[in-house]
Amino acid sequence: MTNARPLNIPVILGTTRKGRMSAHAARFMVNQLAKREGITTELIDIAKLPLPIDDAGEGIRDAEFSAKMAAADALVIVTPEYNHSFPGLLKHILDSCLKEYIHKAAGIVGVSAGPFGGVRAIQDFLPVIRELGLVNIFWDVNFGNVASVFDETGKLLDQAFVKRADKFLNELVWMAKTLRYGRDNISID
Amino acid sequence: MAKQTHAMICPKCGAEMNHHADKLVDPVTPEDRKHVNAALGGVIEETHCCPGCGGLASRREA
Repeated sequence: MTNARPLNIPVILGTTRKGRMSAHAARFMVNQLAKREGITTELIDIAKLPLPIDDAGEGIRDAEFSAKMAAADALVIVTPEYNHSFPGLLKHILDSCLKEYIHKAAGIVGVSAGPFGGVRAIQDFLPVIRELGLVNIFWDVNFGNVASVFDETGKLLDQAFVKRADKFLNELVWMAKTLRYGRDNISID
Repeated sequence: MAKQTHAMICPKCGAEMNHHADKLVDPVTPEDRKHVNAALGGVIEETHCCPGCGGLASRREA
């Protein structure tokens, strides 16, 4: 498999809440991706996107977000767990696109104030990922008790997350390469 | 409903694109409803990818 184009793997920060600790997790994932050769990444903060609530789906498609999703080979989606699920505004923005996601890899990073690291949000998220045409990997990163994982400046306090993120990204990159090969070369017909 | 057989051309670089997915979507607009595949219960959105530049494009099955 040869393809000179770098893999493009943006990180979506999936919450708009003030004081969100997920921002630290998202920046950490961007930094881990940026250390890898042959990969481009950026942080996509949904709080900075236009999110009209007087329509939904493709009716609120934002051209810039759509172009970023179209250019992506994989997504890292960072979601906090709010009331045992993922934020509604995260789904609202993801629902604005469709073709942009199809046959692309997705990895989910869960964040919670409590001990479970967003596992319930992630479990809720999987059917959505599937319906959007994304292909979920079998590694997650779970930032439980997140206030003890990062300090208030975002500095990582628990180095075990470097190894966990590495395993997660290894799988995500493998899936991204495989799916890109498929998109480019294997016909559905 | 008939599958479109001609290859899509990449709007970015002009290369022939690869048809890699058919996604069944619910009809939303009146135009969509004209194209519902009765056997499948929805509209087929064909997704195509450019092996040259990675561009993507889609079209509804005619």
